[in-house]
Amino acid sequence: MINYIIRRLLLVPVLLFGVTILIFGMLQLLEPDERVSLYIRGDPKSDAQVNAFIKKYCLDCPFYIQYKNWLLGTVDSVTGEREGGILYGNFGWSKTGSQPVAQLIARRFPNTLDLTLWAVGPVIFVGIWLGVQAAVHHNGIIDQIARIFSIVGTSFPTFVFGLLVLMIFYANLQWFPPGRLSDEFTRVVNSDQFTRYTTLLTIDALLNGRFDIFLDALRHMFLPILTLSYISWATFLRVTRGSMLETLRQEYVVTARAKGLPERDVIHKHAKPNAMLPVVTLAGFTVVGLMGGVIITETVFNYPGIGSAAAEASVQLDVVTVLGFALFNGLILIVANLVVDILYAVVDPRVRLS
Amino acid sequence: MPDTILDVQGLETVFKTPDGTIHAVNGVSFNLKEGETLGVVGESGCGKSVTMLSVLGLIPNPPGKVIAGSAKFAGRDLLKMSNDEIRQVRGAQISMIFQDPMTSLNPVLTIGRQLEEPLMLHLGMSKKQASERAAELLSMVGIPNAKERLKDYPHQYSGGMRQRVMIAMALSCSPQILIADEPTTALDVTIQAQIMDLVKRLRQELGMAVIWITHDLGVVAGLAQRVIVMYGGFIIEEAQVHELYANPTHPYTIGLLGSLPRLDAKERTRLYSIEGLPPVLYQKPNACPFAPRCKWAMERCWKENPALEPVAPEHRVACWVDTKTGRPRS
Repeated sequence: MINYIIRRLLLVPVLLFGVTILIFGMLQLLEPDERVSLYIRGDPKSDAQVNAFIKKYCLDCPFYIQYKNWLLGTVDSVTGEREGGILYGNFGWSKTGSQPVAQLIARRFPNTLDLTLWAVGPVIFVGIWLGVQAAVHHNGIIDQIARIFSIVGTSFPTFVFGLLVLMIFYANLQWFPPGRLSDEFTRVVNSDQFTRYTTLLTIDALLNGRFDIFLDALRHMFLPILTLSYISWATFLRVTRGSMLETLRQEYVVTARAKGLPERDVIHKHAKPNAMLPVVTLAGFTVVGLMGGVIITETVFNYPGIGSAAAEASVQLDVVTVLGFALFNGLILIVANLVVDILYAVVDPRVRLS
Repeated sequence: MPDTILDVQGLETVFKTPDGTIHAVNGVSFNLKEGETLGVVGESGCGKSVTMLSVLGLIPNPPGKVIAGSAKFAGRDLLKMSNDEIRQVRGAQISMIFQDPMTSLNPVLTIGRQLEEPLMLHLGMSKKQASERAAELLSMVGIPNAKERLKDYPHQYSGGMRQRVMIAMALSCSPQILIADEPTTALDVTIQAQIMDLVKRLRQELGMAVIWITHDLGVVAGLAQRVIVMYGGFIIEEAQVHELYANPTHPYTIGLLGSLPRLDAKERTRLYSIEGLPPVLYQKPNACPFAPRCKWAMERCWKENPALEPVAPEHRVACWVDTKTGRPRS
């Protein structure tokens, strides 16, 4: 197991190199004057200034020098300050956000993470549960309903479903508003009485003992979570059901029954662990998808996460910001892949011990 | 005369498929005496396995269904038991081992865990007791260093060793009947012999009855006291093992024995085989199911399906023809 984890960890630098090369390559497609934002804050005022910056940051130099500068940044000879350098957390200046890209991510990411935290349970575990039920009652009523639900779910566009629930639950019933928090609580949260321990709003609200703020935050997240769940359930249901049906046909399931085990144990202790491998992969990608920001859902519900920020930047062709998000997403993907690989080993001894 | 412990009467099992209903077992009756080894012989798809799975209620439903018959075990009908009742019988009083040891153990659970399960379930042992007993069982079936090997997973065992584990698991609760469904088919010949010896030895030590399903008549000769031959979901011949080899009476049995390779055969003689394929029955036949492949077949064989009739003491055959003379049986 330790060997296995070490081998996976050794792969991480390689993946990191790959991701940076990819993002850097895309940045090279920009004109040198557009890449100035990677090093300076704000907008340059004149063409002369732009040309001075191009010279200073070597933006027309060979690509390997630019790659080095992009990774490590350059040190200003006068002020001694480091400018640029993604390894120092400087992803460039976001024109659309009017702040450094890293700061924009730091501001928006907790919201996305908060949403992920509360969506993972309903999205993944309920999806798996539904899939197992459908497989166990193969061709029964539960299975038929699940299949119809799954087909509708995969073919229903997110924005249509999102707008529909917004119409019903916000416009008509006024139960679940869009956005992040009600105005009265936003003022409290931004004041000194509220300490941001973790920057995750729901967790902070609990830590501050403000149960009312916690509930209000959840109320605002309900519709995005419902939308995400509905779409993901369809996928989880299909994958889990298929994998589970395949497993239930295996000989060792007959062995388990022949031993006299109750059907409950046959399904949950013998069949389910074997059926989980493809589901673990899917769950990994789903979590990465959630953490990388769910662009359409966040936009429809005006939720200030990383996805809606990326959408705003894209619309205004703010490439530096978009690629900053892409880099951040790449990092998340690498970590998530590592976690999925380790989970594989936990689930399947053949992976662990080979 | 030892007592009968399993008495199956008129068992019928069907499978519903999109192409129609397949009649897999068509009124099979047989019994099993205490401590006896019964061989069940026939080609693939003749209903051997389905018969035994039906008796234990292990036919997946849907698509399979037992539609008639009874299976009396210890005075009770297994086929009429509730799920919970038959669970108490499975693995505890009647155990089963399967053809392919590579796929019949769960790959994600340790051998120890899989061995302990029936002990804890049927004998009410604690985890610790079960673990000790599991180690004993593993050494009983000849796996060295048993205590250590309990922690291993199936993929760390060879095929022969996995079948030994299956046997240990099946015997863990001292069942009265062991049903072995072609347990040596997937193993190579030396391992086959070892597994057969192991089952023989354990049968004597534990005094259980064994039903050994196989398509290999050689295996049956060395193991069983009595043999039933199945074809198309029917029992077509039943006899003591010596009687069957000395006096095979049904054309199918004769064909089966004739297709065994012989050591004393001349070089370059062609191995005999029965022409044609076993039938897939979409209807219960009203002719002898073997007639299309039978060289003795006569008019009556195409009109009526013969019942099992005695031809000698403890020797019963379902055939209209007296294969010794080639004339209709009187």
